[in-house]
Amino acid sequence: MPATAVAKPENGRNKGIFHNTAGFSTLITVTVLSLAWLAGFASRLFAVIRFESIIHEFDPWFNYRSTAYMVQHGFYNFLNWFDERAWYPLGRIVGGTVYPGLMITSGTIHWILHALNIPIHIRDICVFLAPVFSGLTAIATYLLTSEIWSRGAGLFAACFIAIVPGYSSRSVAGSYDNEGIAIFALQFTYYLWLKSVKSGSIFWSICTALSYFYMVSAWGGYVFIINLIPLHVFVLLVMGRFSQRLFVSYTVFYIIGLLLSMQIPFVGFQPIRTSEHMAASGVFALLMAVGALKYLHSLNPKGQWKQLLIVGGFLAAVAVFLVVVLLTYMGVIAPWSGRFYSLWDTAYAKIHIPIIASVSEHQPTTWSSFFFDLHVLVCTFPVGLWYCIKNINDERVFVALYALSAVYFAGVMVRLMLTLTPVVCVLAGIAFSILLDLVLREDEMCPPPVESEESKSLYDKAGKLKKRPHETPNGASEAGLGMNVRSGTLIAFMILLMLFSVHCTWATSNAYSSPSIVLASYGNDGSRRILDDFREAYGWLSQNTAEDARIMSWWDYGYQIAGMGNRTTLVDNNTWNNSHIALVGKAMASNESAAYSIMTALDVDYVLVIFGGAIGYSGDDINKFIWMVRIAEGEHPKDIHEADYFTERGEYRVDSEASKTMLNCLMYKLSYYRYDSGGSPPGYDRTRGALPGNRGFKLTYLEEAYTTEHWLVRIYRVKKPDEFNRPRLPVAKRTISTTNSVSKKLAIGPGTTTSKRRKGLLKNKPTVVKGKKVARLE
Amino acid sequence: MKYKALLCLVVILTFYQGAAQTRAKGLEEKLQQLADMTAKKSIIPLNFNKFKEYVKSPPRDYSFIVMFTAMAPARRCAICQHVYDEYMIVANSFRFSQAYNNKLFFGMVDFDEGSDIFQMLRLNTAPVIMHFPAKGKPKPADSMDFERAGIHAEAIAKWIQDRTDVQIRIFRPPNYSGAVAFATLFLLVAGFLYLRRNNLEFLYNKQMWAVAAVFFCFAMVSGQMWNQIRGPPFFHRTKNGPVYINGGSHGQFVLESYIVAILNGAVVVGMILMIEAAGGVKGDPARAQAEGKRRRFQSVVGLVLVCVFFSLLLSVFRAKTQGYPYSFLFK
Repeated sequence: MPATAVAKPENGRNKGIFHNTAGFSTLITVTVLSLAWLAGFASRLFAVIRFESIIHEFDPWFNYRSTAYMVQHGFYNFLNWFDERAWYPLGRIVGGTVYPGLMITSGTIHWILHALNIPIHIRDICVFLAPVFSGLTAIATYLLTSEIWSRGAGLFAACFIAIVPGYSSRSVAGSYDNEGIAIFALQFTYYLWLKSVKSGSIFWSICTALSYFYMVSAWGGYVFIINLIPLHVFVLLVMGRFSQRLFVSYTVFYIIGLLLSMQIPFVGFQPIRTSEHMAASGVFALLMAVGALKYLHSLNPKGQWKQLLIVGGFLAAVAVFLVVVLLTYMGVIAPWSGRFYSLWDTAYAKIHIPIIASVSEHQPTTWSSFFFDLHVLVCTFPVGLWYCIKNINDERVFVALYALSAVYFAGVMVRLMLTLTPVVCVLAGIAFSILLDLVLREDEMCPPPVESEESKSLYDKAGKLKKRPHETPNGASEAGLGMNVRSGTLIAFMILLMLFSVHCTWATSNAYSSPSIVLASYGNDGSRRILDDFREAYGWLSQNTAEDARIMSWWDYGYQIAGMGNRTTLVDNNTWNNSHIALVGKAMASNESAAYSIMTALDVDYVLVIFGGAIGYSGDDINKFIWMVRIAEGEHPKDIHEADYFTERGEYRVDSEASKTMLNCLMYKLSYYRYDSGGSPPGYDRTRGALPGNRGFKLTYLEEAYTTEHWLVRIYRVKKPDEFNRPRLPVAKRTISTTNSVSKKLAIGPGTTTSKRRKGLLKNKPTVVKGKKVARLE
Repeated sequence: MKYKALLCLVVILTFYQGAAQTRAKGLEEKLQQLADMTAKKSIIPLNFNKFKEYVKSPPRDYSFIVMFTAMAPARRCAICQHVYDEYMIVANSFRFSQAYNNKLFFGMVDFDEGSDIFQMLRLNTAPVIMHFPAKGKPKPADSMDFERAGIHAEAIAKWIQDRTDVQIRIFRPPNYSGAVAFATLFLLVAGFLYLRRNNLEFLYNKQMWAVAAVFFCFAMVSGQMWNQIRGPPFFHRTKNGPVYINGGSHGQFVLESYIVAILNGAVVVGMILMIEAAGGVKGDPARAQAEGKRRRFQSVVGLVLVCVFFSLLLSVFRAKTQGYPYSFLFK
């Protein structure tokens, strides 16, 4: 980190000093960028150093699994891959439901390295892909900022984005997810777009379209690009900044980008069939209309043409808008999908789509998360925005729109902080660059004394040598800002930047570097204990269950079970089928017998629950349980009522005051079955801080198969219909006497009719004793 | 004596028969009356006698949803009006829906008209929505929990479905106020532009646009959207005086977000002051040479603004985030 902190101040000055030595400034640029890359890469390695080179969290496990599949079976087999291990019994067409960019990227790297005879495992490529791409993102940000403002600002922005927590939250080593490469693609596409608007050349437009294609293949957030660029064009039209360059760059980008984006199987015909993409086509039509009017205008530049132009443009805009609305009503164009719609109508998801509302990433953002993720940038980027608008031109219009839309989206959803971070870095880079450029520019009159402490790089000395002859001791300081103010400013801003880099390191290390698959707990003496229960459980599954065993768990763990346990799951993190998830939720929320009928209907062999009561792990299933109830209630309002799971005073409790439904539901029983750990008194739940209300019960339809060391993961086997409710007979008694003793044992069995039915007897063979489901057996 | 007893018996018998007749008739009559009242007004206002007659007294085969509220302005119940509006939507949706039948009625008791009902049911808060089932006494779950479910008509309808199995599709009267406000705004802007059509220079005023954009950023960054969606209290009152800053990092108060917006704004203003003092972006060296003292002062003010307010921001953040180790100037 010190590398960036030191590198930043110099570049602001290098413009002033070395403006005629191009080679030198290139050297500085390259040095700063490579240091930024290095610092960014290094700051993302906390998880690898603390734990090991391991894939994190949930979604990355699916990405890893499909990457491994692609490397093993080839690209075309990957595209045709039907995964029968997920969403049992439905299965999932993986090739058509993923953005393949991530897999192709790491697969290509793997292929190249192997062609060079470097035998590296695909897992290591997956783990380190995001940190490597963070360096590329820094370079793309540098290029983008240089287009908008200056190269000095670009270097600032590159340094910022290399370490800012808002971006490293999604790109630490092991977090092998789409966002890791998508932010690079996003920034690079924007850079190329500005380049093409500036130059108006077809070459740059095609490059933009290609980069856009990569973005489409990498992340669903490409919708942001395909709405922001048309918005830019539209605003430029409104501002009267239409030009041939704009016309060429947008039309070429739109057509080629559209065709390319439709090549991704998952996207398919969406770009011409859904509302999210209609802004792009509408602006395309509008641009054509304005272009035609401009051409007519050029034929006869005199007269009333100007008004005609304005009115014509206005009418064209209204006509395009009406056509889109009409097509939507006719059903040719699909309306906004729930995920996007909830960005505008913020109450929508909460009422209608609990599965979206249940994800913590989809909550709105508090100011403290803004500050946590951006630190000093959050209160300096408006300065950059201010100066961009004050000195407006075509590309600064773009960055202003980018900032305003991204800041809105980040306010609505925590997750979209990721799209805000790059533009904040750009604008804050501009702000810092303007200020330090000015403060250091008058160096020629009075060099600030702080320099020698602040900067240690070699060209600094060269700079001093050059300056000394010009130095005028007193005169200039009267007129200018003066040495004291200047140095005070410098020191203060050095401290701010230092605080920033320290904060970034702290945030990345403490908040974003947990693999969440391996947990660490710290004792009172600072000793560290690794809790490896998840892998223990998944390892047990892969070793001790049948190859085709079906595991039921809440969807959070679907990808991990498939990736590490290599077993069939019912639901997973690709939450495409709400009713299937609701069915699993219903099973978890019902009592044992009702759950059993659901589980037999779904062919479940094992049930896996996460229970954190013994170690105080708060992300366990009991805490998520209320969402299972809500989602189940959404699909089965007759059977599940959310209110039943709360106490009469509306509290969510697990102790003896909890509601009866809660104490008898499957999730509760599976979590607390046989639980006697957790300190005194035995069976104390440390997560909820309560003694479970229902203890010492027995399970009828399931049996415990495995519980990990710290009780974190509990696996139960679902009994076959012939296994439960059987009276336990000692071996000695398993001979059949001729009296009616068998039917006496069957007191809870089929009832009185059995005694009348005569059974044929086989010698030395126990009869099949048929059980009947008992509603509740406690 | 004998005759007297017989007479008594006869009298008692006839009386009984009569009572039985009035009772049997009572149910139908009551239903008829209730249906009439509902036809007039979809929420039946109830006083003590009506409440006893229709809701409490036994011959019933219908469910009754009753809202207990205090609508009089003197009672200062702000939420009552909201709940009443939503409740009205539910009642109207039911009244005019296909599923309308005599199994469910909506009523309302105002505290000022039926305070004895409140006493009878031992209610000391308002508003409360209770369900009186056709059979048996109301259970605790028969009074709706606003805190958990919210007060939206949809939530009330869902709760009713939960309790009575009557599904009500909420039909909100289309809310024209938004459209009207939008249209008015549009017309105002258009009219303003038309009046000033010869002098549209102000649209090119970059300062105005820049201020608007920067303010939008402040609003978003200080979490106004969170306030909008979550609706936190303005600030928190405790025994030890008001608390302005929420202790946890997952929550915030409205006032807190304003404070943060102001702190952010101060830092930005400070930085802009410094830049302008140092000569601005355009870099006019001739101007830069002049008035050195004033510019130095401006620069120092800017620097102080940036440092002090950023430190304040950092300490507020530190107070909210447990275990955050860094601070600047202030603890």
